[in-house]
Amino acid sequence: VYQVFENVAKKYDIMNDSMSLGIHRVWKDVLLYKMNPSPGILLLDVAGGTGDIAFRFIDYVRSVRERQLRRKLKHHQNLSWQEIADSYQAETVKPLGDSQVVVCDINKEMLKVGRQKAQHLGYSEGLSWVVGNAEELPFGDEKFDVYTIAFGIRNVTHIDLVLQEAYRVLKPGGRFLCLEFSQVNNPLLSRLYDLYSFQIIPVLGEIIAGDWKSYQYLVESIRRFPPQEEFKAMIEDAGFLKVDYQNLTSGIVAIHSGFKL
Amino acid sequence: ERGPELAAGAAQPPEPSVLPLLVCPLSKRPLRYEAATQELVNEELGIAYPVVDGIPTMLPEAARKIPAPPAKQH
Repeated sequence: VYQVFENVAKKYDIMNDSMSLGIHRVWKDVLLYKMNPSPGILLLDVAGGTGDIAFRFIDYVRSVRERQLRRKLKHHQNLSWQEIADSYQAETVKPLGDSQVVVCDINKEMLKVGRQKAQHLGYSEGLSWVVGNAEELPFGDEKFDVYTIAFGIRNVTHIDLVLQEAYRVLKPGGRFLCLEFSQVNNPLLSRLYDLYSFQIIPVLGEIIAGDWKSYQYLVESIRRFPPQEEFKAMIEDAGFLKVDYQNLTSGIVAIHSGFKL
Repeated sequence: ERGPELAAGAAQPPEPSVLPLLVCPLSKRPLRYEAATQELVNEELGIAYPVVDGIPTMLPEAARKIPAPPAKQH
């Protein structure tokens, strides 16, 4: 698995756009919308190498915070110039309001790409990068408010260990969110999807990244992954409550959610 | 602008905000950050995880064994 991602790291984003016709961006946006984080939240994004979820989290929290500050200003009719200046100061000094995201990935190449992207796009505050194994996380118990794993869990050897670790590092009240390929619920779409996966994606992989095998591996890993209900049961086995899932694009992907209560 | 600091091979310190969150992935016990060697040390197990280019590399296979301190004299 490691070598697949070494080859894939640099071209990861381009491949995602090509394979999913850009729809992966929408899926990730939906994940953030569902998470609905408020400023002060501590997020652990696992297998998040190139930073897609992390950047969205930062954008989301920043805009929530801006809105909060603006609302505060509106409600105070007679503000002195000092108070107005202080408010703007708050916005620049703590744009995220103490929110933090840690991106953890087993592959340092993916993290490096992510970090480069972060600089390029101007993300620096509240963001850190750690090389770690999702089955054996290097974080203390009950540290995070939200744990996300987007398109990463299908690549692990022991899903149950990943879920147990997710449970361990979440604070009580914390939320587990997983965005992953799942089972298509429409038979016609299913045939088209199979055709696309097995005929087109590896070809795209060869053309864009010069790597047929890695993309064939990716397609196969998608097929092997448990379907929605089965994965839901595994999440419950790890101790999570109020577990449910939301299908996106007829089940091509699903967002599973659970709480540590 | 962080451009010049990230030239290949330049040592970069880790993001301070992440340090208090980190533990040894094996024992889940706290670590000591050694700035001089850019390592996160687990005294109990006698291993140290490297910080490479500012990124803590918290994989057991990446850790190095720390020679045990000399035995105390009675």
